[in-house]
Amino acid sequence: MPSATLLGQALISGVLAGGMYGLLALGLSLSWGLLRLVNLSHFALAFLAAYLTYELGTTYHVAPWWSVLIIVPSMFAIGLAQHWVFVRFKVNELGSLLITFSFAVILEVGIQLYWTADYRRFETHYATWSIKAGPFYIPVLELILCLVAGVLAWGTWLWLRKTYVGKALRASAEDADIAAAYGVDHRKLAYLLSGIGAAYAGVAGTFIALIATLAPAQIWAWLGVVFAVVIIGRLGNPLGALAAGMLIGASESIAMAVFSPAWAPVVSFSVLIAILLWDPEWS
Amino acid sequence: MLLEVRNLHVGYGDAPAVWDVSIEVDAGEIVSVIGPNGAGKTTLINAIAGMLRSRQGQLRFDGVDMTRVRPHGFCEQGIALVPEGRRLFTKMTVEENLELGCYLPRPRAARAESLERVYDLFPILRQKRAQPAGELSGGQQQMVAIGRALMAQPRIVLFDEPSLGLAPTIVDDMFDIIVRVRDGGAAVLLVEQNVIKALSVADRAYVLEQGRIVATGLPDELLKQPHIREAYLGV
Repeated sequence: MPSATLLGQALISGVLAGGMYGLLALGLSLSWGLLRLVNLSHFALAFLAAYLTYELGTTYHVAPWWSVLIIVPSMFAIGLAQHWVFVRFKVNELGSLLITFSFAVILEVGIQLYWTADYRRFETHYATWSIKAGPFYIPVLELILCLVAGVLAWGTWLWLRKTYVGKALRASAEDADIAAAYGVDHRKLAYLLSGIGAAYAGVAGTFIALIATLAPAQIWAWLGVVFAVVIIGRLGNPLGALAAGMLIGASESIAMAVFSPAWAPVVSFSVLIAILLWDPEWS
Repeated sequence: MLLEVRNLHVGYGDAPAVWDVSIEVDAGEIVSVIGPNGAGKTTLINAIAGMLRSRQGQLRFDGVDMTRVRPHGFCEQGIALVPEGRRLFTKMTVEENLELGCYLPRPRAARAESLERVYDLFPILRQKRAQPAGELSGGQQQMVAIGRALMAQPRIVLFDEPSLGLAPTIVDDMFDIIVRVRDGGAAVLLVEQNVIKALSVADRAYVLEQGRIVATGLPDELLKQPHIREAYLGV
């Protein structure tokens, strides 16, 4: 059994790493829960944003906090374009899985053609900064990521609860015809939500560029875990997505510390299966 | 004439079709459409609510050609639906359901007064305002469905089988409410299988069978017709 300090450090690192799961899960959960569109290309969009952050940072020396101002609106626009395809071809839930898988593959190939399959690392002097709190180290970038994810999740939650647009989106998710009968133009709102989901992928991508090593095939690395997180957090629930991300991040990290790193991939789906056994109608 | 349906044809999927139907509703009227299960009553009312496209014929509301209006534009003209089976947003609270009724800018501006009016009409909903609508009893859910329609400040309220699945004592209350809705200034188009009740509150009525209007007139006249007495009253 590892020491209390090691476990505490594992818990902190895990929760902070889980912030990334939560941030990636956020956009996915919104489009799946509220539009019934499962967007596999969400990860590819995040990596496109990461590569753009890398490119702007290394070639043009644009700091990530400036490049994010270009990247997020661009991703929003890509989200709108993607949604146009969904509307144009009347894509349903299963169809969205297939069509966004092909989007993801195309993006992966595009990234590979432009940036090659080599590993890329966006080196910054602040990447390794950390705060020392007692015996524990808290990495600064990951802490900022978690704060940003927290603000986005909380803001989105409030938006869905308190505004008419948010309520209309939730109502449409349950009964689109009746919502329309009361004046809700679901098509417009769906475009907005798709854009927001893609914009969140842009935010996630900026952080991926700063904390991870980039390679085209990495697009698929988070897919399994983040899907589990989306379901554990309940579809369409932004705060749930973030909480589930942190729960899974912490569980993985503890499992790695107590057993071995090889156990980490088992954790997310074990938690998911346990939850579904406890309540089959969880999601 | 507020609502004018002329030679309307509607048909979709497995749902019963409606053929060559003409009905009218004037301001301040309660008009009932009665008929057996599967006659096309819901199809007809859904077409008037904008949820189904008509294939042919005219649908005019206060002079506006509604066949050119997109589904989410019907409410703006003043048409509100109380759908069959209530179709509430079950996971949202009672108050959120009501607020969806005043989604459009004009009724939204009157949100506070409209909410008060609905809570005065159905005091129990004031107590249950923060509960998920799906947890309410059938009668209370019907109140939410009617409240949601009233929040839209409608000029006509379309009721689709409001008594379906409700306890007999509550059914009487529902028809009282329908009369109060009309007295409050909106016209009412009511589609019902409960023939006696539907005719007792109606100013005029139509009989829809197998997708066609087979009879029309004042409730008293219809009640005297041998076919109606046989088919609907069992005498």
